[in-house]
Amino acid sequence: MIQIINGLVYGSFLYVLAVGLVLIFGLRRVTNFAHGGFFMLGAYVSYAVAAYLGFWTGMVVSVAALAAFGVLLDRFVFRPLSSEEPIVTLLVTFGLLFVLEDAVRTIWGKNYISVAAPEALAGSVTIFGSQFPVYRLFVIAVAVTVALGLAIWLRSTRVGLYVRASSVDPVTTGMQGVDTDRLSALVVAIGTGLAGLSGTIAGPLMALSPSMGGYIIIDCFIVVVTGGLTSFTGAFVAALVIGQFHNLGLVYVPEVASVIPLLIMAVVLGLRPQGLAGAGK
Amino acid sequence: MTAFALEGVGLTRRYGGFAALDGVSLELEPGEIRGLIGPNGAGKSTLMDVLCGRGGPTAGRVMFKGRDISRLSAQARRRAGLARSFQKTNIFPALTVREQVALAARMAETDNTDEVLDALGLSELADRRAADIAYGDQRRLDLALALVGRPSVLLLDEPAAGLSIKESIVLALLLKELASSWNVTVLLVEHDMDVIFTVSDRITVLNLGRVLAEGTREEIRGNPEVVRAYLGSSIE
Amino acid sequence: MSDAVTQRKPGVAAAVGAGPRVPTFVVAAAVLAAAGFAVPWLIDSQLALTLMTQAVIYAILATAIGFMIRQNGLTSFGHAAFFGMAVYLMALNGKFDAVPAELAVLAAIAVPAAFAFLAGLIIVRLPALSFSMLTLAVAQSLHELMLRWRELANGDDGMPVRLPSTLFGVDIELFQAPSTMFVVCWVVLVAVIALLTLVARSHFGVLTVAIRENEERTRYVGYHTLVPRALVFALSAAVGGLAGVLFALYNAFATPGALHWSLSGEALIMAVIGGPHAIWGPALGAVVFFVVKDAVGDLTEHWPAIIGATLIVVTVLLPQGVSGLLARFTGRRAASKP
Repeated sequence: MIQIINGLVYGSFLYVLAVGLVLIFGLRRVTNFAHGGFFMLGAYVSYAVAAYLGFWTGMVVSVAALAAFGVLLDRFVFRPLSSEEPIVTLLVTFGLLFVLEDAVRTIWGKNYISVAAPEALAGSVTIFGSQFPVYRLFVIAVAVTVALGLAIWLRSTRVGLYVRASSVDPVTTGMQGVDTDRLSALVVAIGTGLAGLSGTIAGPLMALSPSMGGYIIIDCFIVVVTGGLTSFTGAFVAALVIGQFHNLGLVYVPEVASVIPLLIMAVVLGLRPQGLAGAGK
Repeated sequence: MTAFALEGVGLTRRYGGFAALDGVSLELEPGEIRGLIGPNGAGKSTLMDVLCGRGGPTAGRVMFKGRDISRLSAQARRRAGLARSFQKTNIFPALTVREQVALAARMAETDNTDEVLDALGLSELADRRAADIAYGDQRRLDLALALVGRPSVLLLDEPAAGLSIKESIVLALLLKELASSWNVTVLLVEHDMDVIFTVSDRITVLNLGRVLAEGTREEIRGNPEVVRAYLGSSIE
Repeated sequence: MSDAVTQRKPGVAAAVGAGPRVPTFVVAAAVLAAAGFAVPWLIDSQLALTLMTQAVIYAILATAIGFMIRQNGLTSFGHAAFFGMAVYLMALNGKFDAVPAELAVLAAIAVPAAFAFLAGLIIVRLPALSFSMLTLAVAQSLHELMLRWRELANGDDGMPVRLPSTLFGVDIELFQAPSTMFVVCWVVLVAVIALLTLVARSHFGVLTVAIRENEERTRYVGYHTLVPRALVFALSAAVGGLAGVLFALYNAFATPGALHWSLSGEALIMAVIGGPHAIWGPALGAVVFFVVKDAVGDLTEHWPAIIGATLIVVTVLLPQGVSGLLARFTGRRAASKP
């Protein structure tokens, strides 16, 4: 039972990361291949800041920094390349991934770094008869907050409306006078900010290393594609399911656990090529 | 009695509560050229889709030379001799004209690539990339892809779309001639009434997913309901 | 123009260019392959030959990626999966002595191909973006697998590839000495490019380009479109596996690095630099890549960052790659644009 909750924990930060990608894709119609790198960067930045200013400041700085990065990414990569084939943007962000990993390795070295959970969340509670770290519950709480926050934002605010409209029909939305460039900057910033958030909260759960980006991107991409590239709900469900089974796999069949998400993806896409909740093609 | 070349029996296609097609029946005699008209949203494209295998009907059957092909894939239908051209030009930009017609010919009964290129005035352009030829030529190429191999039944979706008046008439006469010399049965969707009335033996009128009228040119032209349906809807 | 048209038999454009005469590219390939034999005589430095051999092996992998882009319009970010699969299959066979090494070589090519075909049936249908994302995910997933399953493959420390003393009747030393292995790999590269050119010019090649251009119309013209594309993927995987086999024979060591995204990335970069438009383009890109790497790599620890930056610059400035550039200079029209 505890493992189920652990699966929820993993699914949680996976969701936060994946939904960032869905946001970016919805607006810019491209995938950020460096997204795993942003996750990693988010983890390292918050770790670095936390060393001096504490976990919470670290988290805020990390999210802000990654969001700022997102604005730059949108302005200097996505926007100028939006008239080219999508593959061009893919390749550029892939190149960025190389650069990010090298940068992290240079600054922080290639060894594993452990990060401690913040004091406030350091204890444990009793659930189902076992001790369960509070911090992990916090991670779940963050994911739920993000999900609800996004849902409310998209449905109830004017900006959210623009985002939804833009992701369905960017051209017409632009013609309606919505500043799609500023909108994109905002959305991409939120997307990369979420990557930073995911990296931050994942930090105490997984050891930091320059390869953590390459590790998490597997499930992240699988979640996004399985959920249906543009679907927030799809990403949510996929993250839950995949997170759950991957975690169970890590417990019971650790050597081959990394293949489990692949199998789930294969089954889902075999039956439904458009993904769990994607628009039919 | 010989079977109809193509027959739609009670074809219905629903999207949720909305019926794009509602019990449409249609019988094409071999060698006939049938015009299919109707105001926007009448269901003409949907009918074409259902007949050629682009999605199935919610109800009803499609019969081809007496055979029920309702379950047959688009590929199988083409190979059996039921071909379709498209309203929005649907060609292969990077391939040359000849390459793509030859590709289509391989899957058909006879390889009459040169004959088709000749008939449609594309011989001169045979080795040009499709992306590099004029719009009118691309429309004819779209037609060539459907026409090659002498299909028994041809579904043409607005072949004259975007063509000038002169080009449209030329195309219409060409169609008529090819249809008769190759004995092809044609179902032709068009908004251009000149083309329709020049070419068609009989005309079916759709409105709101149903058959409104069917008959010869004279009968349709004089039918007050048809006139009302067109006047009552958006102007072409 | 009309004369040429009436003299041609129907369908020749789509058929293999060979008539009674041998097509020029086959002759060119034979000459190039033969030229490879001369290289060890001209170049003494074992180091240079080693570098060149590596370059050629990577060139084969890059060619596989480029072929996929050309024929399917899909970009694989995880081709290391097939490369590494082959390497590990050879290594594991060496460890467990399951089948004779010759069979292992064949399996190391066939298994990635089969895997790609089956996976392809599911993923080539997806939008190109999803396909690319999943290739990365699949390859990384295999990387994790080999990393974690220490009992099987010794994880990050890697495992040796035990080889017999002869392979296909040839002394194994041949595959491990730089001067001879270079020739072997070179001949394989030329043969692969020739074979893929043959495929590209065949009906199958035209069909897959048609599917790439307009999948829907291809169906309406009478073809099934899933299997041909999955076959292209399988062929591309087989070539990737072949590169892996050569790697395993030469280096006799398997590490998870053979499955890592950075390897996929490097090969992809070679394909991008060279341009997939011409089948030999990626191989040219590999040459350029290795020349630059040799020149720059010693100067810096930050080779990955440079790779990344180069990819960015090349992609933005040279979308058609070097081979596209060359085609433009020689005035030869892009025959069938990628």
